[in-house]
Amino acid sequence: MNEQQEEAASGNPDMFRQLGTITRQLHDALKELGYTDKLKGTVDQLPDAQSRLSYIARLTGEAAEKVLNHVDEGKAEQAKIAERGRQLADTISRVPGLARAMPELLEWSKDIVSLSEKSDARLTDIMMAQDFHDLTGQVIGRVVQLAGTIEEQLLSLLLQSAPGGQPGQDHAIVDQPALAGPVVNAEGRTDVVSDQAQVDDLLASLGF
Amino acid sequence: MSTPMKFLIVDDFSTMRRIVRNLLKEIGHADADEAEDGAIALSKLRNGAFNFVVSDINMPNMNGFELLAQIKQDEKLKHLPVLMVTAEARKEDIVMAAQNGAAGYIVKPFTKATLEEKLANIFKKLGI
Repeated sequence: MNEQQEEAASGNPDMFRQLGTITRQLHDALKELGYTDKLKGTVDQLPDAQSRLSYIARLTGEAAEKVLNHVDEGKAEQAKIAERGRQLADTISRVPGLARAMPELLEWSKDIVSLSEKSDARLTDIMMAQDFHDLTGQVIGRVVQLAGTIEEQLLSLLLQSAPGGQPGQDHAIVDQPALAGPVVNAEGRTDVVSDQAQVDDLLASLGF
Repeated sequence: MSTPMKFLIVDDFSTMRRIVRNLLKEIGHADADEAEDGAIALSKLRNGAFNFVVSDINMPNMNGFELLAQIKQDEKLKHLPVLMVTAEARKEDIVMAAQNGAAGYIVKPFTKATLEEKLANIFKKLGI
């Protein structure tokens, strides 16, 4: 029980008793309506949902790493191509009369350098795009955690439906981490920023 | 820049560590090491000669705020600039980072130009 919950409990001594009564009534209603089996089915499916989400996180992570490996190799090759282009331009310029006789040679070698630099910049963009793994991974992590909490709570509900279960034995309430991770939908929210410019403005307004 | 700087990149996602490391290399800072959480980072900082820390916030074991606090409480480390690079976009997190001594704050996803600009600002401010 965290500080807030303890405070709430000490301030409202009847609160947990009432919650227990409501929970018991809910259990009875679930049993009467025959939902216990359905609830059990849901609880059984949650670990599967968690493992599927973890599988997605692992696979996207591996895909991102694979892309980064190719980017590393591509960048090394682009650097060599650009270097060769520079050497070619230099060689053509040093052969007497060649640049004048065949100006296109110099032009082509400069194109090689310029295009390889553009390709390198594209590879940087491809590399940066792999940050999706970090961002989606954090969101998936939160959902897996949430599914775990729901599973625990549903399991507790089922246990309490069984004979001998007592209201108030629910230990499923867990502390939520203070950090929220990426903002999935910032629309209409004033407590979050949606881009770097807003971060800079906020810090500047505070004198940092 | 006169002397090469050694960076420590702290992030629990290997993909992000790699991206930041490659970006730093492109910007001209090839000397970098990595740590996957604040606790490992702190150990590396205490046993190595680093000049700059680029840290995520949301990490297991020891998060970025705790790492920042530990660095600023340590006589030998408190001079280190710490740039937070994180997905945490809540204003209170940004303010907390600044108040606790972070040298800068970048919110993910970010661009190479943003990282370059923030580093240049920090270097200028610290006279590096």
